[in-house]
Amino acid sequence: MREFGEIAERLRRSTVEVRLKGQQGGGSGVIWNASGAVLTNAHVARAKEAEVELWDGRRLPARLSWRDARRDLALLRVAATDLEAAAAADSGALRPGEVVMAVGSPLGFAGALSRGVVHSIGPISGMGPHAWIRADIRLAPGNSGGPLANARGQVIGINTAIVNGLGLAIPSNAAVDFLTRGPRPALGVALRPVPPGLLLMEVEPEGAAAAASLRPGDILLMSLDELHTALDSGREVLRLRFLRGAGTRAGRLPVRETSVRLAGARAEAA
Amino acid sequence: MANELAALSQELAAAVERASGSVVAVHARPRFSSSGVFWRPGVIVTAEHTIRREEEITVTLPDGTNVPATLAGSDPGTDLAVLRVEHQGAAVTGSATEPAPGHLALAIGRSKDSGVNATWGIVSAVSGPWRTWRGGRLDAYLRLDLTLYPGSSGGLVINTAGEPLGIATSALSRIAGLAIPASTINRVVDEILARGRVARGYLGVGLQPVELPDHQKGLIVLSLESAGPAAKAGVLIGDILMALGGRATADVEDVQTALEGQPVGQSVEASVQRGGSAQKIGIVIGERPQRS
Repeated sequence: MREFGEIAERLRRSTVEVRLKGQQGGGSGVIWNASGAVLTNAHVARAKEAEVELWDGRRLPARLSWRDARRDLALLRVAATDLEAAAAADSGALRPGEVVMAVGSPLGFAGALSRGVVHSIGPISGMGPHAWIRADIRLAPGNSGGPLANARGQVIGINTAIVNGLGLAIPSNAAVDFLTRGPRPALGVALRPVPPGLLLMEVEPEGAAAAASLRPGDILLMSLDELHTALDSGREVLRLRFLRGAGTRAGRLPVRETSVRLAGARAEAA
Repeated sequence: MANELAALSQELAAAVERASGSVVAVHARPRFSSSGVFWRPGVIVTAEHTIRREEEITVTLPDGTNVPATLAGSDPGTDLAVLRVEHQGAAVTGSATEPAPGHLALAIGRSKDSGVNATWGIVSAVSGPWRTWRGGRLDAYLRLDLTLYPGSSGGLVINTAGEPLGIATSALSRIAGLAIPASTINRVVDEILARGRVARGYLGVGLQPVELPDHQKGLIVLSLESAGPAAKAGVLIGDILMALGGRATADVEDVQTALEGQPVGQSVEASVQRGGSAQKIGIVIGERPQRS
């Protein structure tokens, strides 16, 4: 019988370790084509420059090309033409119970292989409207951005998170959509749901929210699902209602409004 | 690029798909739902420890619809609860013959958001009848080496041929998930549908193992519930129980086993040593008070 190791070998050659200069931690990535496209998680590719280490030990500088924080995907580019690209399979045909394997650098151990099965496929409440692949597989933080593959070694997802012990992967079809159409519009913020709405934790200096004068500590008066729907609606300008003023009772604060102009990210990136 | 691993993968996915028609999501506790299985038409079995309320229980059927369910009864001892729904459902059929350590096993559950789910592992240990720490008796001890996530309990455990081994529970062992065997489920479902509960025999005594000077072993009565079945029959503190219903009682476990064969309300003969002489006392078995 051809076992996991043999089938995983090709997958291992298409998996890279992603490191950021001067920063702790890192993650994994998937070589998407021979000419230098490397797919990883947005939360792994947090800087414009990164370093990618191939299976054979070669280290190449990588440049951040696209980043979609909402879908947690990023595209890195390395200057190479002879990379071993992973093969992708249709994640839409995936069924619970199918055998899966993951390659990555869990806790920094490069090339580690783990195996399991597809647990379920579907959205997760509080994590946006998109489908996730949940896998009954043992992952660790360094698996982020690395491949989840089927029993033929074809990539069916990008390992992204661990929730209640289950591995969460972005389906390969969503990754293909990102690679063909670019990142979707984003506010450029880190936020957290709080009782009246969404609390802005961080605001990226060059993001759409910063341009609309939104600041950390502001609370958007909408749910996460409403925000996702608005961002995906195709509108270029969103009117957002928010509260500002720390330490005062929310009920007393005046509701403010701002217009956020979303960059035509998809057109621009092409 | 065909390979045996891909063939196994297809086999596992097909087994999950076939079984998924019998598996529902059960909403009877905050935060996490659990899973349940259509055991008979209109009758769903789930893990008792996941039922935290007796009203407003709903289940998500395989087709995604939510329907109300009523709690027909539960048996904490075996961690089984029985629900009734209007919907007939696709009840499981057959059961796995002779599960053995090493057999591949799948635990199949369901959640409202993402439908059917599966985890995969092996049967890690099998042995004969086993008493749970909750006091119930399982017809077999089926230990699973697979991960049970929040929501997996109450789900269906099958082998790769799709035959049911039983129902998954994480609450009966600290070290592993277990499958509550199909034969135990059948027995408990019968009792609950007939009486609404599983009645357990009760004497109302506190016992401690002791060894007599002639090296015989017995159980000394240390406490006695006033007006309990044993007290009514004339048992006294200090009596040493030597046998119950003809079965020697060297251990408290022996008393539970002896009571299991006898229905509540029936008289059972107790052999006791009192002041150095043997006596026989008939005790009418009571029913163990329900946990509140």
